[in-house]
Formats: sequence, structure tokens, C-alpha cells
Amino acid sequence: MSPSTAAPATPGPAGPGATTPMVEVRGLTQRFATAGGTVTALDGVDLAVERGRFVSLIGPSGCGKSTLLRVVADLITPTSGQVLVGGRSAAAARREQDYGIAFQSAGLLEWRTVARNVELPLELHGVGRRERRARALELLQLVGLGDVAGARPSQLSGGMQQRVAIARALAESPPLLLMDEPFGALDEMTRERLQDELLGIAAAAGTTVLFVTHSIPEAVYLSDRVVVMSARPGRIAAVVDVDLPRGTGTDVREAPEFFARVTDVREALRGAPVRAGASA
Amino acid sequence: MRRLAAPLAVAVLFLAAWQALVVLGRVASYVLPSPLAIVAALAQVWTPVLEAARASGANALVGLVAGSLLALVAAALAARVRVLDHVLTPLAAASGAMPIVALAPIFATMFGATSSLPRRLVVTLVVFLPVFVNALRGLRQVDPVHAELMRSYAAGGWATTRVVRLPGALPHVFTGLRLAASTSVIAAVVAEYFGGLQDGLGSRITSAASNSAYPRAWAYVTAACALGLLFYAAALALERAATPWRRAPVVR
Repeated sequence: MSPSTAAPATPGPAGPGATTPMVEVRGLTQRFATAGGTVTALDGVDLAVERGRFVSLIGPSGCGKSTLLRVVADLITPTSGQVLVGGRSAAAARREQDYGIAFQSAGLLEWRTVARNVELPLELHGVGRRERRARALELLQLVGLGDVAGARPSQLSGGMQQRVAIARALAESPPLLLMDEPFGALDEMTRERLQDELLGIAAAAGTTVLFVTHSIPEAVYLSDRVVVMSARPGRIAAVVDVDLPRGTGTDVREAPEFFARVTDVREALRGAPVRAGASA
Repeated sequence: MRRLAAPLAVAVLFLAAWQALVVLGRVASYVLPSPLAIVAALAQVWTPVLEAARASGANALVGLVAGSLLALVAAALAARVRVLDHVLTPLAAASGAMPIVALAPIFATMFGATSSLPRRLVVTLVVFLPVFVNALRGLRQVDPVHAELMRSYAAGGWATTRVVRLPGALPHVFTGLRLAASTSVIAAVVAEYFGGLQDGLGSRITSAASNSAYPRAWAYVTAACALGLLFYAAALALERAATPWRRAPVVR
């Protein structure tokens, strides 16, 4: 294992329920066979995400951050290594619906109404019609889309579609939320608004979030911890702990600590050694 | 209605130019009858035109439904079972390469001159390819995000088919059906040129032409066009009814 690989990091605060980490990845290696030979997407990755934490994966394109997320989601089977989600195997966690997932593309089913898109996971898992409709409307209220429940996805803007996708990911109140650049295609204003909404929702429900992004400010703003990855083969280059005064909005976005952590992450991305911990 | 205004205006201008060309240019009626002469002939043979259109329309409809159903079943099988894909796709391509002109007389001889079956078989064969190709393409194309989403839900093959694959394939299926709808009428009419039962538009066109009754022949041709348009419009209406999400107005 390379010395630059960060250890699973300092254990989280031993609060109530903080027994096993929500996500635990050990010695993960992922290779893909391509026309030009074998590509190593991830090489010996260790990662632990404590319960209730918001952790971002950041790195240049091709660093395997999306691959790592997909392995945790059991959408890809790792070449080698161990992945535990909520203490059980990733496959079992997927079958038991331990996580909700959202992608860069909202991926709504265009032939379903907004409400029926949010209902989709509930419908597939046998929740009754009335109950799942009530839950969908509740979630749409939560993401500020209570008035478009009957609309078609194609009638909505990109930001609204992404809100619907988040509502859908939250439908079964999963303890873990996996997000792959969900705000990547949105304009800056919409993006900041959705970031605040996501923080509020995750904090209220105590949801653990694993969040892939290529935006440094986004990672710093949202996260308790930013995991910086290096490209090809994907390795964890550094871990930056973020300890901003919580609360949301411009106060935090313009705080000196915020810019300090942004600098830390940027330097880590460039390969400079990071002042460890940085628990200011 | 407003969308129809421009094409209608063009059609009226075209017909007026045609009329002027025939009248002012003294074109002989066996070369090209004027639109008004065709309308007059149409009025004269209105009842037989309707009967012939009904006969050809029935053949086209039966063949269209049979060919489409066969094509949909074949596409569903080919999308699901790889071996069948390798077998069915070349066969479908071959069916598309088969010329109607070659098949129609053979079928007419096989099933006799009193049966409508030969013409319906010709239509079935002609309809098969466009519906099969488009339906298969639709069934194969699953948005990768949808595929990942369904896997994250631990949804099985049938649930994925029902929730994602089939609705996603509908627009493609209807593209095939729309193509097939007007083709089915052409095939039904053309198949009549090569013998068999003489009760449809195609046989009326040939017999009118062989009697030098050109305006009457054109009257039947006009009816064949109208029938084809009717089939196309019906397929379009069905498509819109089945895929309402494709025309929803934008909220903001």
C-alpha cells in the first residue's frame, strides 16, 4: 500500500450509534478490461465514512471517484478488496435498500409524472398506492416542488428535475445517500440553493452522505471531510477535515476558514502535502 | 389547424397550377387529366370507389395488425434472447428485401383468385420489417442511468422491463408503426396489380387505365392516397394517445 494512502482516518466522535462506520472500504482495487489493455481505476483504496457524516470525494476526471461510489452502491463488483455498507456487504446493502442514490443526470422516467417518479422505489418494493403517494407528496414539499407533482419531468428545469431525483433518493428514508455530481450540470445560483437544501435535509434526518464532485468549493461547503483522489490509478491522496461553523449560506461561504479549507483541498489536488487534520 | 394552413395552401396552389397547365396547355386527357375532371370522375364512381377502398383498406388493416403483432413479438424475443436475435434479425432484413411484385403473383396462385389472403400476406410481410427494426432498437436502448437506478433498487428483469424498457421503447415502436401504416396501404394496392381477387383499388386502377378511362383511374389513385393518409393519421393519433408525455408544455 502506498504511503500516500490516508488511513481510514481519525475515528469519528464516539457519539451514540457511532459504532460501525456507515461505509467501510478496505484495500479496494478496481480494474477494467478495455481495448487498449487493462486499466486500473482504483488501486488500494481505504475509506471509512462515519454515520451521520457528510464526506465528499474529489479529484481530477478519471481518478475513479465515480467508480468508487458505484462500488459502494454495488453497481460495480470490485476486482479485489472489501466493501461494507452499514456493517454488511455492499450487495446485501443494495438488496436491503440501505442507500438512496442520485446521479449527475436526474434520470427521471419521462413517461411518469413527477410524483410517480418519486414513488418509483416505493412502488417497486411493494408499498401501497395511497401510502406511497402520500410519501411522494411529502418529499416533494420538502424539496419545494409540492405544486408540480402532476407535471411531467420534461416540463421542469434542470434544477427542478434534480430536486425530484433527490426526493426519489430519499423516498425510503435511507440511512445513506450516495450522490454522483448531482449538481454538476446546474447553474451556480441553483447549485448553491440545492446545496443548502441538501445540507438541511441530511442534517434533519441524520443521513450519511457520500458525495462525488469536481468542485472544490462545493466539496468544502458541504462536507465534514473531503477525500482528495489522484488520477490513474485512482488513489486517495489526502483527507482534509473541514470544521466550518455550521449554519448555511453566505456567512459560511465567505468565512476565512472556508477559504483556508478550499486552499487545502486545492493544494492537495496539486499534490502538495496537506497540513493534517486542520481541525481549526 | 394553423399548422395545416400552410400545407393546404401549397396543395391548393399546386392543384390550380395543374388545372391551368392542362387547360391552357391543351394537354390531352390520356396524358394528364385535370384535377376538376378527376373530381368529376370521382363523383361519378363514388360508390364503387368506397367499396374498393373498403376492400383494400380491410386488407391493409388486417396485414398491418398481423405484421405488427408478429414484429413486436419477434422484437421482444430478439431483445431478450441473444440466439434469437442472431436468427431473427437477418430474417427480418430478408423479409424487407423481398419485392412485393415477386410475391404477389405467387401468393395469388397459391391461394386462388377468390381469396383476400394473398394480399393480406403481402402486407404482413411488408409491414414486418419497419416495425421489427424500430421496436428492437427501442427495446435495446435503456438509458444507462435508468439501468443503474433499477439495479440500485434491486429490481428484477421483469420489473425493469415493465417499468423502464417497455415505456421507453414506445416512441420507437410508434415510429415503426407510422412508417408501416402508409406502407401497408401501398402494399395492399400494389399487390392487386398481379392477379387475385379483383375488388380493391389496385385492380380498379388497372382496369380503368386499360379502358383508357384516365380520369377514373386517377379517381381511384386519389382514393388510394386518401386511404394511405387515413392510415397514417390513425397511427399518429394512436401514438399521441399512447405517449402523452412527449407533448407536455414546459412549466418554466
